[in-house]
Amino acid sequence: MSAAWAMVRHRFASFAGTFVAVFLGVAVVSGSATLYLSSQPQAPARYDQAPVLVTPPNAETGDTRDQQAWTAAEASALAARLGSLPGVMAAVPDPWFYVQRLEAGRATGDDQAALIDGHPWSAATLGAYRLTDGRAPKAKGEVVIGTDVSATATARGGTAPAAAAAGTTASVAAGSGPRGSAVTAGTTVEVLTATGPETWQVTGTVDGPGFYVTDGEAARRASGVRVIGLTVTGDVQKVVDAAAAEVGSSGVVRSGAERDALEPGSITRVRWIGAQLLIALVSLGAFATVFVVSSTCALSAAQRRRELGLLRAVGATPGQVRRMMYAETSLVALLAGLIGAPAGAAAAPLLGDAMVGIGLEPAGFTVTWQPTALIGSVLLGLFVALAGVTAATRRASRIPPLDALREAAADPRAMTPARWVMGPLCAIAGGALLAGMPTFPLEMRSSAGLGAAMFLLCAAALLSPVLIVPLVRTVARPWRGTATGMLVREGTLTGVRRVASTAAPVLATVGLTVLLAGTVATIEVAAGIDETAKYPAADVLVPDGTPGLSAAAVAAQGAEPALTTRLLITHGDTTTGGYATGRGDGLVLDQFTASELGSKAGDVVTVRFADGARAELPVDAVEEEASIPQDLVRRHDPDALTSMIVLKDTAVPTPGARSVPIRDFVMEEIEEEGRLVDLFLLALIGLTAGYTAIAVGNTLLMATTARRVEFQALRLAGAGTGQVLRVVSGEALLAVSVGAALGGLVAVISLAGVRAAVEDEIGRDIDLVIPWGSTAAVTALCAALALTAAAFPVLRAARGRS
Amino acid sequence: MTNNATPAVELRAATRTYGTGERAVTALDRVDARFEPGTFTAVMGPSGSGKSTLLHCGAGLDRLTGGEVIIDGVPVGGLSERALTRLRRSRVGFVFQAFNLVPALTAAQNVALPLRLAGRRPQPGAVAGMLAEVGLTGREGHRPSELSGGQQQRVAIARALVSRPAVLFADEPTGSLDAASGAAVLSLLRAAVDRHRQTIVMVTHDPVAAATADRVLFLADGRVVGELPGSVGAERIALHTARLEGATAVAR
Repeated sequence: MSAAWAMVRHRFASFAGTFVAVFLGVAVVSGSATLYLSSQPQAPARYDQAPVLVTPPNAETGDTRDQQAWTAAEASALAARLGSLPGVMAAVPDPWFYVQRLEAGRATGDDQAALIDGHPWSAATLGAYRLTDGRAPKAKGEVVIGTDVSATATARGGTAPAAAAAGTTASVAAGSGPRGSAVTAGTTVEVLTATGPETWQVTGTVDGPGFYVTDGEAARRASGVRVIGLTVTGDVQKVVDAAAAEVGSSGVVRSGAERDALEPGSITRVRWIGAQLLIALVSLGAFATVFVVSSTCALSAAQRRRELGLLRAVGATPGQVRRMMYAETSLVALLAGLIGAPAGAAAAPLLGDAMVGIGLEPAGFTVTWQPTALIGSVLLGLFVALAGVTAATRRASRIPPLDALREAAADPRAMTPARWVMGPLCAIAGGALLAGMPTFPLEMRSSAGLGAAMFLLCAAALLSPVLIVPLVRTVARPWRGTATGMLVREGTLTGVRRVASTAAPVLATVGLTVLLAGTVATIEVAAGIDETAKYPAADVLVPDGTPGLSAAAVAAQGAEPALTTRLLITHGDTTTGGYATGRGDGLVLDQFTASELGSKAGDVVTVRFADGARAELPVDAVEEEASIPQDLVRRHDPDALTSMIVLKDTAVPTPGARSVPIRDFVMEEIEEEGRLVDLFLLALIGLTAGYTAIAVGNTLLMATTARRVEFQALRLAGAGTGQVLRVVSGEALLAVSVGAALGGLVAVISLAGVRAAVEDEIGRDIDLVIPWGSTAAVTALCAALALTAAAFPVLRAARGRS
Repeated sequence: MTNNATPAVELRAATRTYGTGERAVTALDRVDARFEPGTFTAVMGPSGSGKSTLLHCGAGLDRLTGGEVIIDGVPVGGLSERALTRLRRSRVGFVFQAFNLVPALTAAQNVALPLRLAGRRPQPGAVAGMLAEVGLTGREGHRPSELSGGQQQRVAIARALVSRPAVLFADEPTGSLDAASGAAVLSLLRAAVDRHRQTIVMVTHDPVAAATADRVLFLADGRVVGELPGSVGAERIALHTARLEGATAVAR
């Protein structure tokens, strides 16, 4: 209906809140979705010439860190069979291993990427890498190095989240060390492997990344084989079918997009962390948009009561009023979305670069054009806006035509039946989520906590009209004697809906801030105590820009290595994966794994090692930490590293390791994690606060503008602009305090639930930390905005008169 | 005046009470009234006499608690909100004291609104013709904020008449206008009755306005307490009103 367009044009001020909310929401969603969709897993470039990749069967544990391997023997047998298939030019196993270049005694490059940087020379063919100089490696200790290594190692740094710390040390090393020490055929190169520092003879260079040693060397150093690449001629699909028939259940044949599953875990993990932020941004953006749109629409519908009544009087059916409001909102949302979506997509590359910089996307990540993200976000914006306006629409359509004749001064009933039904329902849903928290799997708990908080916040917002009256009476009690106090109190009590509309966004911001920051602070405190409690006061030897400690680094301290390996353990029908440390002389399971498997001491379980070998082992005991005899780890996971050791004496300097006091190390770890968490917090709280800022400002601006007549009357009764301002400010502050109080209350309840879950997890009491600082900051921000938005129309009116 | 024709609006024992129990207020008390087609009736009475309630109920804006309202032969009581809205849209026009127009729409759009809401496309020239009839040629594109109070009221009359309703209800249409604008509005209403046999029911407290009508109904305490022909003139109407107000004041 064209009337909708006329309404939107005429009353754009009252649609501005919806417009801005949808614009921002769509921009956030389209930007995040563009980034998310751009960040798809990609098969490593070194398999570019292998359209078909064969991998061992999936571990089926639901954890990407669990990967089965073939033993070297299995792999070469399978490769031989695959190689003889028609259309297959070569079937090459790629047993990778850890190798990192040392420059001036320091490890360079990205520590996580280094875990898979060593390859057999034959695998170079999978990427069609050719020698640019020299010859292939022929003997132990010979290596062909990739372009990236020969140029400068530091250029590749900074992908993994942990690389921020590693990256700095690496760049320091590059800055002080002999930079650009060009490695060419015929020279030597210092490297670090799982064994320790080694000096390799460079026999050639290749036009691709990595270190290439003889096939035998690679097989000896690698922990099993996790991929066989096929180079083919002719029809790829035929090869895929033939290979699948040949491999059967002992592997998975991948072509096309399935190859992308081979992306290194470290890169996938970086993408995953980034994706968490993006997902959180999208869901919070959508939630905030619904919240803001519904509160502004409700208020605007209440303000337009007379106009809507008039429409009803001149013959608009309730359905027509509803459709008109939907049409108005659709128009505004579509307009906002059509501007917001490209804006978000345009901003995505900037955010993308920032995310690469802080390790939330892998290096080399580029944002691509994602029409789905654009269209999807516009549609989502439309949908979310319509969802937000539904309640207001239902209410507006019930406005009796007689309302056109009434001066709608006093607020109509603030509590609607819908609020009475939905409010308690939300409260129950939130409460149930909180109560059920300990039964959820660990990785779902934080989402459950956030979900519970959202439900409780909705409940508080829906029920706020009931709570406002007693709250206001209490808060305003000290000022009841003054004229301003009386006006503020009565104005608030007769305008409960207006107060509720203003308080709702404050409630959401303060609530989410307290909850998010509080959860993090509580867990940080709990984790901090936990980590220090584990070690006595001493120094520890920890990796220095490397993914772990080499055997030599540990041996140099005269200590026993504590190799960490990942095992796949099967008991009955259940298989699960887990880390185990090389120690003792039997298999010890940790409690978590044991309960998952339903096994106890004395049971015999099947253990699959990193190299693909399997063994039936009896469970010796179930303890805090899992362990398995050291020699088994050495034999089946030659590439295993030690994560850290506690030092008895002063550390002997050794490449790729450094010694720090335990406390400092724990703090570093916490800070490292904290840096990322803080970033998440900043993004999420920033988004929420930004949104509610719009909502608070918009609501008050609308409300105060609509109350001009009332203020006129006040002025006629002898109130100066100053007094009117005081009344308006008083009301705004009162609304903010009510919102902050309710939000804080809800958050503290949710926080208590989160704490209970954490206590349950670590089996010890922890302190509930309430983040007073950020709470105060956010509340102050809301108050400042509320004051500005409320005072602006009054001041403008005053200036217009004089 | 023919008694066998269907009345434009008929109230039979119309009763409207607000509230319940001790606080119940009876605004209309078993009122019987007929408004024949082509007549102009003024409804007068002291404030609180129920004249506005009579208008609201007669127009189907408000529901009776007892009795019956029949608009153009259709009993309103059993109609759903939707059906009632449609009936109102096609058979009833309104002019209120103020706030008659949708501020977002132009004069022409406001006039066309009832037709558009009914899903009909206004005949070419119909809207402009209607505005011309109320003397607003050339103001089609103006928004309410750009029109004077009298002009707004004339747009409201044009809108009320555009769907050729069986009856037009006017609630103090001159209440917030100056004398000259008020007179213009009244003569427009009179012309609609004389020229187009439009039925009009007008609530007013202004004896001069009431004198424009064919007959004047007097209400007090929710009952019809008297009737005069409009031709008796403003002075006698005023006198009658004053007596009524005095009587109610004494009764209280």
